[in-house]
Parts: sequence; structure tokens; C-alpha cells
Amino acid sequence: MKSGKSWAWVTFILGAAYFFIPLIATMEFSMRMKRGEYSFEAYRVVLGDPRFQESFTFSVVAAVFTIILGVLLVVPTAYWIRLRLPQLRPVVEFVTLLPLVIPAIVIVFGYIRMYGSNSPLPFLSSDIGTSALLVIGYATLALPYMYRAVDTGLRTIDVRTLTEAAQILGAGWTTIISRVILPNVLIAVLSGAFLTFAIVIGEFTMASLLNRPAFGPYLQNIGANRAYEPAALAIIAFVITWGCMSVIQVLSRFAPKSANRPN
Amino acid sequence: MADPFLSIQHVKKTFGPTTVVDDFNLDIERGEFVSFLGPSGCGKTTVLRMVAGFEEPTAGSIIVGGKDVTRLKPNQRNVGMVFQAYALFPNLTVAQNVAFGLKVAGVAKAESDKRVAEMLELIKLPQLGDRYPYQLSGGQQQRVALARALAPKPKLLLLDEPLSALDAKVRVSLRDEIRAIQKELGITTIFVTHDQEEALSISDRIAVMYGGKAEQVGAPFEIYNRPATKFVANFVGTLNVLEGVVSDAGSGRVRINTEEIGLKGKLNGSKTGDTLSLALRPEAIALGPRPGHDAKLSGEIADVHFLGSVIRVRVGIGGSKISLDTFNNSSTPPPNVGDKAEISFSSGDVLVLH
Ligand SMILES: Nc1ncnc2c1ncn2[C@@H]1O[C@H](COP(=O)(O)OP(=O)(O)OP(=O)(O)O)[C@@H](O)[C@H]1O
Ligand SMILES: [Mg+2]
Repeated sequence: MKSGKSWAWVTFILGAAYFFIPLIATMEFSMRMKRGEYSFEAYRVVLGDPRFQESFTFSVVAAVFTIILGVLLVVPTAYWIRLRLPQLRPVVEFVTLLPLVIPAIVIVFGYIRMYGSNSPLPFLSSDIGTSALLVIGYATLALPYMYRAVDTGLRTIDVRTLTEAAQILGAGWTTIISRVILPNVLIAVLSGAFLTFAIVIGEFTMASLLNRPAFGPYLQNIGANRAYEPAALAIIAFVITWGCMSVIQVLSRFAPKSANRPN
Repeated sequence: MADPFLSIQHVKKTFGPTTVVDDFNLDIERGEFVSFLGPSGCGKTTVLRMVAGFEEPTAGSIIVGGKDVTRLKPNQRNVGMVFQAYALFPNLTVAQNVAFGLKVAGVAKAESDKRVAEMLELIKLPQLGDRYPYQLSGGQQQRVALARALAPKPKLLLLDEPLSALDAKVRVSLRDEIRAIQKELGITTIFVTHDQEEALSISDRIAVMYGGKAEQVGAPFEIYNRPATKFVANFVGTLNVLEGVVSDAGSGRVRINTEEIGLKGKLNGSKTGDTLSLALRPEAIALGPRPGHDAKLSGEIADVHFLGSVIRVRVGIGGSKISLDTFNNSSTPPPNVGDKAEISFSSGDVLVLH
């Protein structure tokens, strides 16, 4: 018992060191922009850079749309598979895994061939169309995570009986999904949303090849041309990510308590 | 029954190659409480789900209040249903659960609040409106499910084994409560169960089902005392079955083991030499003679079970053992195993099974 506990501590300290030492080193480095003293000069430069603000805003907006698209796509699909087509589950699971296997570059070249300005769906002929295509691409990349999160959430409730209970009370499909299913898988959807957000903020390949002013290409550009700013950016990105996570923690406290509780 | 409220006519349901319900017919009057009783897998739930609209009959029709609803979706039928697994919406409070059907129907907030309060009063949980389902006991959850089903004033109430997940004590009190509420509202109700005591104690009528058919439909008294088929006789209550051979069809004499009893008027056209299955309820048999008992058989006490207020004695007669119940009496000790014994009964209580 006692030795088990001390081993747990050793493991914990090793894990924490593995995690925190690079972080602290990066942090330390990022603060050495001014010779001979520690300062937040690199952060000031980065945050003051209009391209930072633009690209970051672009990516956040893209992430929000990606999450909305993902939820609209995945929640009804995963629900319907569980309710009516359980025999199709392996197939759908396989399909949702494809984005992990097929590199983003392949997907994006496919897009460029398919949706050029002389195709019937000329997404690429306007900026807004290209951004929309980017969001669709992001939703594809996030699909494995979103689907798994939602499907796990659906496992904790008795989908069929709850659906029937709502139906017999007069509810149609929209009401069932929005008032019964979605609220009960909200935490799962939120964690899917968080993963989506993280993917979109850091994504480079698609945004770069579609030539959109996203955060990923900006990060790459800074990383290749500057010394201290990339370190500052890494720390900023880290803080944002952890910020998201805390927000989700707080939100999940307001989510239905019982939704965690299988019946 | 001139004008049934619910009429299930020649309903059949197949899943792929298997026929689960076959030519099921039942008329239910307005305000009646009918139970479906039968062993597992006999199709009770399937019939109920067809009435609710969750399954579409392969053939036949379902009429409610003179209107054919066979092809209507569940959300167009105005039927209330209570499920075995409660099925309360976990993200909504008790009051919101009860209000769900009203909200879907577009009932105004003030009116809905009033109705919810009424319903919570009806199920005797007026103070629990703000709780979440996981904060309630099973019995309370099922009462909320009942209130939720009743709130939109449905035409029919369907209950699929609503008590089977509850413990014995709650089961008895809740079933009486369900019956009282049903009577108070006068709502036409179908109650599915495989517990015969439950069905016998609360129903106006019982439909005993077997193999996707209604074997017999009748009042509990009738089902218990005059079972129409061998299956019903066996399934409902404890039954002693004896083989008898008709020794003289004319005078109604039937030989059991080495003795004869008279069953005039009960032979239903059986001929001399036919073998009959004769059935007797334990409570119709007495140990020793009793006034009014015109038939007797002798045997030997095989075992004795002291159950408290009742003593269940089994008497070996020929190859079979006959159970009978005697009331406990502190001044007479129970019989001993191996004693010679004589049992008596009224020939009128003998059921001839077909
Ligand atoms: N969707 C379905 N597909 C195939 N077979 C089914 C389906 N639903 C029910 N059955 C079959 O129909 C038969 C009757 O089922 P049903 O659920 O009506 O029985 P039940 O009388 O309610 O039994 P229980 O007391 O166990 O609930 C069973 O043999 C079952 O396997
Ligand atoms: Mg059933």
C-alpha cells in the first residue's frame, strides 16, 4: 500500500517534469528578447502584430463554423445509427476514421480539382467560397473525434426508449433531437467541440494550400523567420488551449447532471 | 358491447419469417382497464406497440373512438404510455418532464403550469417538481412517468410492465395507486404484465395471451374459475391436474386411479373410455370431508409446507400429487408425511380441460 503510493508519486513527478520542463524552458526563452533582462517584449510584439490578430480571428471564426457544421452533421447521424441502423455502425465508424488515414494534403488536392472555377460547384472562385470549403475540410478532419465523442455520449442514455417516450407525447424529430437527445449528450458534444477547436486553430496544410489567412500558416511563417516570437506564440497557444478546457469544465457543470449517469 | 372505444381487429404482425402476433382480436370499452397477461415472448409488448403506433401491423386494423388509426404515427395518436424502464428525460426536472407533452402541444405556460401541479397532486408528489429524475426512487420515477403520460389528457393509457423493475412492496402499493388514478380519470387503459396476481387484482378484464393470440378474454373471476383452455388454466393460478377415464358417459362417471367420481353434465360429449384431464384449484379441495363436497379420493400425505396463515399440503393419489390449502389453526397440528388421507371436493369445481 505504502510503496504503491510512493510509486504513484514518482510516476506523477516524472510525468509532470516531462510536461512542464519544456514548457518552462520555452517560457524562459520567450522572455529573453531584450538582452540582459526578462521581459514580455516578444509577447507585446506578437500581440501587437495585426497579422496575428487577423489570422487568429479568422481561425476562431472558422472553428466556430466547423463546430456548428460538425454538430449538425454528427449528432443526427450518430443518433439515427443508434436508433434505426445499428448494423451500419461498423461501416460508419470506418468512414469517420478515414480522415485519420488519408492525409489532409490528399483531401485538399481533391478539393482543388473538384471545386475549381470551372466545376459545377465553384467553391474556389470566391474568397467566401474557399473559406466555406476550408470549414468543410476542417469538419472532415474533426469527424473522427466528433463522432466518437457523440457516440460515447449516446451510449450513456437509452436512446430508443427516450425517443419513443418523446414520440408518444407528440414530439416530432426536431423536438426530439433538440430537446431530448442533444441536451443529454451535451458534455460529449462539448468535448468534441473542444477537440475540433484545437484542430482548427493549429491546422496548417489545408489553410495554406487553399491560401486562407489562418492562424496555422501565420504560426509557420513566424516560426521560420523569427527567434523569440514563436516561443511566445507557443505559450499563448498553450494558454488559449487550457483556457478552452477550463471553460468546458465550467460549462459542463451547468449541463444536466444526470446526463453523465447511465440509467 | 355495442360500441367499443378501442377495437383491435384481426391484427397480425410478422418480423421477417416469424409471426409474432396472429389474428389478435379485442374490443375494449371506454374507461375499461384491460390487462394483457402471458408468458415472456407471447407478443404482449408487440400488440401494445401496435396500439401505440411504434409498430405497424402486417394485417388488420386498430380503431380508436370510431377512427381507424392503424397507419398513424405515434405522435399523432394522443396516447399515453408508461415504459418498464421509466424513460424520464434525464435532463429535465420532474415538472418539466410532466409538462413535456403539453409544451409540444403548444399549451400556454400558465395553463401548463396548472396542469402540471394538478398531475403532481394526483401522483402525490406535489413537492418534488424541481427534482431531477436521478434524485428520485424507482417508484417515484414511475409515478412521474405516469403523470407525464396523463398530462396531455390522452385517449388511451398504455402501460408495459410498469412495475416489474420495482421491489415487491412498492409494486403492490403502486399498482393499487395506478388503478385508483385510472378509475378517478376514467381513462381506457391497457396494462401489460406477466404477473398473474397483478393482472387478477386490478383488471376489469384480462386477455390471456399465448403464442401471439388471445387465448381467453374475460373478467378475473371468470378467467380464474372458468379457464377456457388448458393453457389458461395452467398459467393462471396453481392447478392440480388429474388424469381420469370416462367409465360411463351416460351417468357421467369418471374413474381416477381406483376410485370413481360423478361429473354429470361436464363431459362435453366425451365417450366412455376417453381419457380426460381434470383440474382442481388448491383452495377447492379439503382434507377430509366437508359439507357440500360430493366427491372424494384417498391417498397419502406426500409433504407439508407451513406458510404461515396457510398450510399447503400435497397428497399423493395414484401417480400424481395434489396440492391443497388449509388454514392454520393453532389447536390442530398439521398432518404428518406418510399418513393416510382423504381429500374431498365439489364435482362442480372440477375443470375439464380441452
Ligand atoms: N423488432 C423485432 N424483430 C424481431 N423479432 C421481434 C421484434 N420485436 C419482438 N420480436 C419477437 O416477438 C416475440 C414477442 O415479443 P414481445 O416483446 O411482444 O413479447 P412479450 O410478450 O412482451 O414478452 P415479455 O414478457 O418478455 O416482455 C418475441 O419472440 C420477440 O423475439
Ligand atoms: Mg414485453
